[in-house]
Order: sequence, then structure tokens, then C-alpha cells
Amino acid sequence: MKEFIDEFSKRSIEAIQSMPHKEVAKALNILQAVYERNGRVYVFGNGGSWAIAGHWVTDFNKTIFSHHLEEHSRRFRVSRIPSSAEELTAWANDVGYDMIFARPLENVLEDTDVVIAISSSGNSPNIIKAVEVAKRHKVPVIGLSGFDGGKLNELADVKILVPTPKGDYEIVESTHDTIMHLMTRYFKEYFNHLVEHP
Amino acid sequence: MIISRAPLRISFVGGGTDLADFYHRYPGSVISTAIDKFVYVVINRTPLIHKVSARYSVSETVDFADELKHTRIKAALIDMGIQKNIEIASFAHLPAKTGLGSSSSFSVALMKGLNAYVGKKIDKGEAAEAASRLEIELVGEPIGRQDQYAAAFGGFNVIKFNPDDTVTVEPVLLDYKKRLGLESHTLVFFTGITRHASSILTEQKANINKKFETLKQMADSVPEFRSRLVQGDFRGLGTMLHEGWLKKKSLASNISSGVIDGLYDAGMNAGAWGGKIAGAGGGGCVMFLAPEDKKTAVREAVKRVAAANNLTDFQEIPVRFVQSGAEILFNGDTK
Repeated sequence: MKEFIDEFSKRSIEAIQSMPHKEVAKALNILQAVYERNGRVYVFGNGGSWAIAGHWVTDFNKTIFSHHLEEHSRRFRVSRIPSSAEELTAWANDVGYDMIFARPLENVLEDTDVVIAISSSGNSPNIIKAVEVAKRHKVPVIGLSGFDGGKLNELADVKILVPTPKGDYEIVESTHDTIMHLMTRYFKEYFNHLVEHP
Repeated sequence: MIISRAPLRISFVGGGTDLADFYHRYPGSVISTAIDKFVYVVINRTPLIHKVSARYSVSETVDFADELKHTRIKAALIDMGIQKNIEIASFAHLPAKTGLGSSSSFSVALMKGLNAYVGKKIDKGEAAEAASRLEIELVGEPIGRQDQYAAAFGGFNVIKFNPDDTVTVEPVLLDYKKRLGLESHTLVFFTGITRHASSILTEQKANINKKFETLKQMADSVPEFRSRLVQGDFRGLGTMLHEGWLKKKSLASNISSGVIDGLYDAGMNAGAWGGKIAGAGGGGCVMFLAPEDKKTAVREAVKRVAAANNLTDFQEIPVRFVQSGAEILFNGDTK
């Protein structure tokens, strides 16, 4: 058992260390800019990535500001799309599963927004369709991918690729979670700093 | 209606190497940042009013775009084939001619907005290119291309002007501690003296051959400025600004003046690490990097010189550095 646990830990650590620093920094700048212009951030993914997207919404909308909630009248505006299981099944059933992100994104997307797409393979057709919507709008796309990055890593403006052997979902997803938390912590410290050192 | 905006900028070193006469011979390079002062452009479609209106410091209403006095709006509308049924207005946080690049910020916001008006979404690079083309080719301004790129991209950037006329924008990825640190050491004052950049740049352009080595050194100083910035060496940055300002002053006779030198020397004698005149020179803003405990002394010293010279419009301009570039803030246009 020890061997298995050691091996998983080792691979997790290597994946975190392989995080592309420059791309993560670029993503932080893009998120800073969307905050400045009071735009919205739309985030989506399938399965475990859908869970990361939900966690992203929670941490960016609330956790980042929670030490000084009253002082920050402007906060991040992050939403996961589609907004409900009802909407998801409606698009999936009536239009097609590959359009469950693209179609709701078309409804809401404005020029001031940013899109975060999460896909371990980088090749989920529904993710790629939505990224293409954002590209047509010239809205910046932050792409979190794993394995060889797939099509998402080619299309994204910010290419956050966690390179792993194909199929290494657990390692990729937990590293994506770490990256999301890195960004949460960065902005939490930044907004705390603004209030604590006026 | 469409509302677009683009930020003003502060350039640190390398200004002047963005002129084509220089960068066709040696790669130009500038490091600059966008600041939290914006130019806003509002574009309104008026299907029932068969006129063209341009509203800025004056208000013009004419039958066709080619009758407008505003050179940039006129050239942009003609180029895009928009002759009538349109209103364009601009708003800004600061007056024109402060040396903070506002005229190019206007052009970038205008081109971003007009493209949206014709149903075309353009990215930052395209907005910068469109504004450069408008100002340099269509209007014939003798200016460079750094301001259009700084305004379109936003944030801290190293902007490189290649001999083949391409432009490369490399963002300087600063964390918030460095960014806020630099802010807390920065002082910017509007001198109250205004000038057209083009009058200075015309002489500067004529001097490019004579001053080629100086300009080369200015372009070559950009990587060092960048690395000191990333390290948070604010004192070193101040020293580099000072050296850059001395070089820049030598490029054309009217970049500085007795009054400008007086303001600058007052700040330096009060303990600033270094500084410069923002923009082409001849007026506009004077900026300093100073230790935090000397900021009050610098402020007071510069104010005294301004008062002694009757600079009634002199004022401090508080600045924050922003990541925002050219943006469409609102697009409610319906054809």
C-alpha cells in the first residue's frame, strides 16, 4: 500500500511543479483586467472539471473577499454555465450534448467577459464548441488542460497545460484544483492588502 | 449605442525608438504601463437624423463625414465608408496634451468602437494596428506607434518595433506586490503646460541620424529596466529614469525648457531617485520615483516651483496601474 501512496504523491507533486508559471501569471492579469472593467467570467467543464468550475465560482465570488466583505462593493462576477440541470438537459436533449456549453454561452457572452474552459483531455467536443463561441467574440479564453493539451490548448489564449500521460485524470484534476486555489489565494491576498494598506 | 474606452499610459524608457525612421534601422523598444485614467468614446447610430455629429471639446454637426474638422474622426469615418447617420462623442479623465498618450488612446477606443459599429470584433493587436494606421497613414501625424499598443493592450508591456514594421508586445508579468510597490513610489504632476506632441516629434525625427547612438542606447536599456521592475528595485528604476531623461532631453531642443528643468530639479533636490517628462516633452506631466518618506518633500518642492512660475493648471495626478486595455464596455447597437 505504501508504494502505491508514495507513487501517487510523487506524480502529484511533479504535476504541480510542472505548472506553466508564465501562463498562470497571464491568467491572473486577464482576471485582474476583467475585474477592473466589471466584466463577467464564465467557467465550465465536464464531470470532475464541472466540480472544479463550481468551486471556482464559490471561491472567486465569496472566499476572495470574505475577510473584508463590506469594503469590497465590487467583487468578481463568476458563473458556471449552464446555470442549472434543467437548462443543461434541455440543450442536451433538444440541440445536442456537444452544445450544452456553447448555446448558453451565446446567450450571455459580452465583449467585457472572460471564459475559463476546463478539460483534462482538451478534446471534449462540448468544451471546444464553447471555446469557439468565445473566440468568435474575441473574448479571452483561459484553457486548463492535461495530457497533451488537445485542441483546447491550441485554441486558448492562456494555455494552462498540466502535461501528463494520457488518461491521468486524477493527477490533472487535482492540479487544476491547485491552480484554481493559487488564483484564489493570489486575489484574496491582493484584496486583503488593498484594505489593510490603504 | 456603443461605449468603448482605452487607458492612458506612462512610458518609462525607450520613447522615441518607436519612430519608423529609427526602427527601420535598429529594433525599437519601449517599456510602459497603462494607468487608471481613460478616454471613452460613445458611438450612436441615428437612422432618423441624416447628419454626422462629433462632440469633443467642440460640437460639430455636418451633413457628411468629409466636412468634419476633427481630423481623426473624419479620416476614420471616410476610411470605413460611414458618411452619415452617426454621432460620436468622447470623454476623458484628463485634458488632452498631458503627455500620457491620450490622443492615441482616443484613436484606439474610436477604432475599437467603430469596428463594433460595423459588426466587427477586433482584438488588441488589431485595435492597435487600426489606430496606428489611422494616425500615421491616414492623418499623417509624425508620431510613433508605442501609444496605440500601450492603450490597446493595457498592463505593463515591453513593446518592440521591428525593422519589418511588425510590433511584438511582451507583457511584463508583475505580481500585485511589485505593482502596488511601484505605485507607492510614483508621483505624477501635470505641469499645466500643454503642447502638441507632433511639434516636438517633427524636430526629433529630423535629428534621428545625428542622435542614432543615443536612441540605440535608449532602446537597449529596456531589458534592464524590465528586470529591475520584476525584482522590485524601485531605486534602480528611478536612476534609470533619470539617465533616460537626460538622453531624451538631448534628442530635440524643445523637449525641455527652463520651467520644466526647474520643476524636475526641484523634485530631484527634494530626494527623488529619478524621473522624467512623460510623453514627447515640451510640457505635459513630470513624474518621479521617490522613497516613500521623501514624497511629501518632493510634492512640496515641485508645487513651489509651479506657483513661482504661475502654472495655474498645475496639479498632482494620482495614478494606479491597470491591466485594462481597449475595451467595448457596452454594445447596445441595433441596426
